[in-house]
Amino acid sequence: MTSIDDGVMPTKRRARAGRAFVAPNLAAIAVFMLFPLGFSLYMSFQKWDLFTPAKFVGLANFRHLFTDDPLFATALRNTAVYTIGTLVPAVLISLVVAALLNRKLKGISVFRAVVFVPLAVSSVVTAVMWQYMFNTDDGLLNTMLGWVGIGPVPWLLDPGWAMVSLCMVSVWKSVPFATVVLLAAMQGVPHTLYEAARIDGASATRQFISITVPLIRGALSFVVVITIINAFQAFDQVYVLTGGHGGPETGTYVLGIMLFQHAFTFLDFGYASALAWVMFAILLGLTVLQLRLTRRSSLEL
Amino acid sequence: MSYLIRGVRRSIVRGVALYAALIGVAWCALFPILWALSGSLKTESEVATPTVMPSHPQWANYGEVFSLMPFWRMFLNTVLYAGCVTAGQVFFCSLAGYSFARLRFRGRDTLFVLYLATLMVPLTVTVIPQFILMRTFGWTDTPWAMIVPGLFGSAFGTYLMRQFFRTLPTDLEEAAILDGCTPWQIYWRILLPQTKPAIMVLAVLTWVNVWNDFLWPLVMIQRQSIATLNLGLVWMQGQYVSRWPVLMAASILILLPLLLVYAIAQRAFVRGIAVTGFGGR
Repeated sequence: MTSIDDGVMPTKRRARAGRAFVAPNLAAIAVFMLFPLGFSLYMSFQKWDLFTPAKFVGLANFRHLFTDDPLFATALRNTAVYTIGTLVPAVLISLVVAALLNRKLKGISVFRAVVFVPLAVSSVVTAVMWQYMFNTDDGLLNTMLGWVGIGPVPWLLDPGWAMVSLCMVSVWKSVPFATVVLLAAMQGVPHTLYEAARIDGASATRQFISITVPLIRGALSFVVVITIINAFQAFDQVYVLTGGHGGPETGTYVLGIMLFQHAFTFLDFGYASALAWVMFAILLGLTVLQLRLTRRSSLEL
Repeated sequence: MSYLIRGVRRSIVRGVALYAALIGVAWCALFPILWALSGSLKTESEVATPTVMPSHPQWANYGEVFSLMPFWRMFLNTVLYAGCVTAGQVFFCSLAGYSFARLRFRGRDTLFVLYLATLMVPLTVTVIPQFILMRTFGWTDTPWAMIVPGLFGSAFGTYLMRQFFRTLPTDLEEAAILDGCTPWQIYWRILLPQTKPAIMVLAVLTWVNVWNDFLWPLVMIQRQSIATLNLGLVWMQGQYVSRWPVLMAASILILLPLLLVYAIAQRAFVRGIAVTGFGGR
């Protein structure tokens, strides 16, 4: 009752505090997130290079992108190859690794800690370290291939091999991430299920396929969505590994590199913004599709 | 009897196979780093040979890193950026998260849905307008561009903290209200000390994220004196092509502080990634 005497209702006071506590955070999101979002959409209909006034061009940027820019098709194809080349090996490997790390063995926490180490390594450092191993003349990989009689592979010099190299680097970086998520899900699978299966005489492989995988489907779909989102926008590792232009030739010319070049090398901000929105749309479509697919297959169970 | 022995033998074989597989996986995860470490201690001529142990460890390679790039300067810059952004994120996200979880005000839930929606927006879309914004403020090529955009919190961090605040019991808080505590006192004295696990997760994820960030500093910074370590490494890589021992020494030096963070805060880091999907890049 004292607060009424003060002339301040507690609920009113709490509401005022609530607004005040959110205010700085909200201001930052409005300035650095919501405004850029709107401004980016606005720019995608403009022709603007920072130095001359912006000019409204309607859908010209989008039209140019889809009909007049053969490099867009190249970038789209490369990004698709890169995404699949990262996603499929990363998911398959991490399923096996997570199952291994889920065993109750002596010293297992040490193994877990070691396997997760790449998570702490930046993409830039990762790319530089792998460049050293990819070196064509005397890099470790070619030296080792030489021992089994395979001639030197032009890892970063040939457009096709450069994409293979890029995928290898990304798999090394993605497997620990996927393993963390899958392992957490596997630890939530009730033990009684495995015990029942063992009594029924199911082998370890059989248990993995029939119990573990269906029960961690949610985590699996989460990993797939996040890996696609990251691979689709890849920039750091590509820029550092193959020299910033998506080379050799257009071997690693992915959408992230294309966006960077148009925005910050050619200063064509309208065109780059249009590209960014097309990427956003594709990503949203893929995410929705993936969620749909998992929901349907879990209903079938 | 023989059945028993066979069973024991089989479980021993299984155990050995499991450990062999685990060692193989751990080796794959560590190998690029160990190979970089080995390369960083070799001479320019030895670096081409596939020996793991350098015959005469060349610690001078590390000294050369310090003379080829202003390493300590860039180290301090990176610590400054990561430190400011982390402190800001923890404070403002926990404050807003507390408000979203416990304080009622009109439009709160609508606002929170808006927050969730911004989580969907990829960096690809915002990096260009953010660059133009920084140019308009006159902040390009200044430390402000590295600190201010992350200083006042993010939708991601607020969401993380709000979820955690909702799991805390309300009785302590109710007692505090009866004792006449203000909302600020409740937040600062009673709830914040209880949210340490969530704060650790947010702090570690933010620190690692700022430390490893590349696109934003690449776009924002031209001057060496305010550059980050990642930027320094990429410049060095462009300038000293194929001087592997020095490049590997620099890589190891940049990696080391983060490995230290990982060793100290491994649990919070791994749990944060498992819960949020952050850091899968």
